[in-house]
Amino acid sequence: MTTLAGAPTPLRQCVELAGKDLRAEARAGEALLVTVPFGAIGLLLVPLAVGTDTPLLREIGPGLYWVVVLLFGVLVTLRASTVDGPAQLDLLRLCGVGPGTRLAGRALANTVLLLGVQALLGPVAVVLYDPDLSGWPWLAPAALLVAGGLGVLGALADALAQGLAGRTTLGPLLVAPLAVPLLLGATQVLTAARYDRTAWPWLALMLTADLLTALAAALCAAHLEEAR
Amino acid sequence: MTPSDARLPILAGVAVIAGQAAALFAPPDQVQGELVRLMYVHVPAAWVAYLSFAITLGASGSWLWRRGPGADRVAAASAELGVFFTGLAITLGSIWGKPTWGVWWTWDPRLVTTALMFFVYLGYLALRRAIVDPVARARRCAVFGVAAFAQVPVVHMSVLWWRTLHQPPTILRPGDPTIDHAMLAALLINLVAFTLVFAVLLRARVRLAAAEDALEAAADARGRELAGDAVSAPKLAGFGV
Repeated sequence: MTTLAGAPTPLRQCVELAGKDLRAEARAGEALLVTVPFGAIGLLLVPLAVGTDTPLLREIGPGLYWVVVLLFGVLVTLRASTVDGPAQLDLLRLCGVGPGTRLAGRALANTVLLLGVQALLGPVAVVLYDPDLSGWPWLAPAALLVAGGLGVLGALADALAQGLAGRTTLGPLLVAPLAVPLLLGATQVLTAARYDRTAWPWLALMLTADLLTALAAALCAAHLEEAR
Repeated sequence: MTPSDARLPILAGVAVIAGQAAALFAPPDQVQGELVRLMYVHVPAAWVAYLSFAITLGASGSWLWRRGPGADRVAAASAELGVFFTGLAITLGSIWGKPTWGVWWTWDPRLVTTALMFFVYLGYLALRRAIVDPVARARRCAVFGVAAFAQVPVVHMSVLWWRTLHQPPTILRPGDPTIDHAMLAALLINLVAFTLVFAVLLRARVRLAAAEDALEAAADARGRELAGDAVSAPKLAGFGV
């Protein structure tokens, strides 16, 4: 951070905060070393429950992958390793970092981590389910939109559940029902591409959900600021 | 209870009796027969659920603007009732769906979005229960109460936006309602009756919440030290006890 004379822009503050979160995560390894293996176990367990029928698994594999990304991704956004204590929050307030910037920083870090989660779980799903990957380039924008939307939703839920004993159980309940447009969009993009239908409407749905979530977060951030 | 307090429950009771009588005397449907009578409770339950969440939205916005504890109580009470009436609408719809569609549940956009709305507001209630501090609880729940309302128009418009088994809007639509007028009259009486029942329940729940808050404040005050407690009365020589 710089001095008041050259006060950093909110964007710079946001990037710095995201960097701080990512450095803390790199030390703790909570998201990538704990949650990702847990998600991989989830991908491994489902075929044991629904039957190890290869054509069936090939059909349902992409959908299961996105369900696992959604449910386990919420846990990543609510990770305890980067929870700011009261003293850290006070310091950020004294430094002039606004609540909106803090929320955006958290959302940015979440997005980067969720892209990592998707990248690590993707090969696991491909190996276990052998899905039809025709139209795979469409996955790149879909992955980005899922990570962005879930990152913002997770940051918002984290702010709502901040300091609560049951934040890691309450957070998923708040996020999961609101993340349905992302799940629908992500699963239908690949299906549309596979059957030579246009995938743009599904990307547009996800983008709209992302923008609405970001708008809600921007409007709510100031109201979530709590005096102690 | 004052006489004016008793008027609303009496009015609601009369309206419920009138509504049920109207539902029984309304003509059966040409296709669905007697099953259509479920409409007279299913549709009002869904309407009251929408109304509850709209009141939660308004009260949440009011809290963020004016910070009055009354607004928080109204928002909470209305959300509780909204969850109850959403559950009732889903259950009644499911009972109606079994003989009509052949299944208790189908992956229809109206059903799925309604179930999601139910879970979103269950999350709202869970958030309320998780926060002990009343101001923090009111603030965070007001924010969530405003954001959660986005789900309500999605539920209502779902039958127009997607292909669906559920019938499109018959009353809340531009132009003449696409329903027999005798049925419409019975439905409207039940809508009024359910709204009055909701008003009775909302008022009772808000009063109960206010009483709980007052009790909590009194309990807090009892255990608190008063200024001057630590100072003892001066003892004068020769007057000791």
